[in-house]
Amino acid sequence: MIPTSWFLILSAILFTIGVCGFLTRKNGITMFMCVELMVNAVNLTFLAYARQFHQLHGLIFVFFVMAIAAAEAAVGLAIFISLFHHRETIDVDEANLMRW
Amino acid sequence: MIEFAVFFFFAAIAVIFALVVILHRNTVVGALSLVASFFALAVMYVLLDAPFLAALQVIVYAGAIMVLFLFVIMLLNLQHVSEPATRPIQQFLGYAGSAFFGIALVYYLVKYTVLQLPPGPFLSDARAIGVALFEAYIFPFEMVSILLLAAIVGALLLSARRGVIPSRKDGEEPPARATRGSLATLGMTEEGPLP
Repeated sequence: MIPTSWFLILSAILFTIGVCGFLTRKNGITMFMCVELMVNAVNLTFLAYARQFHQLHGLIFVFFVMAIAAAEAAVGLAIFISLFHHRETIDVDEANLMRW
Repeated sequence: MIEFAVFFFFAAIAVIFALVVILHRNTVVGALSLVASFFALAVMYVLLDAPFLAALQVIVYAGAIMVLFLFVIMLLNLQHVSEPATRPIQQFLGYAGSAFFGIALVYYLVKYTVLQLPPGPFLSDARAIGVALFEAYIFPFEMVSILLLAAIVGALLLSARRGVIPSRKDGEEPPARATRGSLATLGMTEEGPLP
């Protein structure tokens, strides 16, 4: 049986990769994919602890996270489509109307 | 023993394809790499005794959400758009900060997280999840369904161009305009993008 810590370390690495991509990329859709990567890393942590403590709550929470990620993807991609229609780009630096 | 080999193989696949997502300049390659990474994570879920959620991961994430991403990338013709370079200071701060964060996180997990192995196999089939979902978690479940409905309406409103949804004032406009607008939404217009 694989120790729970290994799954946690894998999850930490994936989360860090997601953070790194979110901070360094300018393409809006790539940044969005990095957010999905971070969400999946957290899902892995939930499942690792669910197995560790023999609790179903972690699994239920992963279920809800998946549903909310689907809603978030739908709305976020609609925002990017709207941004592309207005600015002809999805570079997030171009979306600076409400910036200080 | 075979379990450990499977773990390391798919962990390496997940990490390598996640790195491809953030390092490759082509968005389509990034999206497909993310699908591969999600498949590797589904294998991790099977190793964690959660086969139902592994199936959900493949169906919902790899099958629905990532297809939505690819659909939007191809709808906007982003595979030919070259991404401008990031500012050097932002690049440096991003890499340095996330490397520090990751190293600190892994150090903490290695040094301070001492977890005994769980006593036995964890029984989490679809039946147990369904019973928990529809008894203890019925209220959050209904909230999520309302949230998904709101997301559908919001996505429709946000992605529609002006003129697709007729306002009350020009309600007597013929439906031909709506048809042209929805074609424009699909990128099929021949006069190019609207102002």
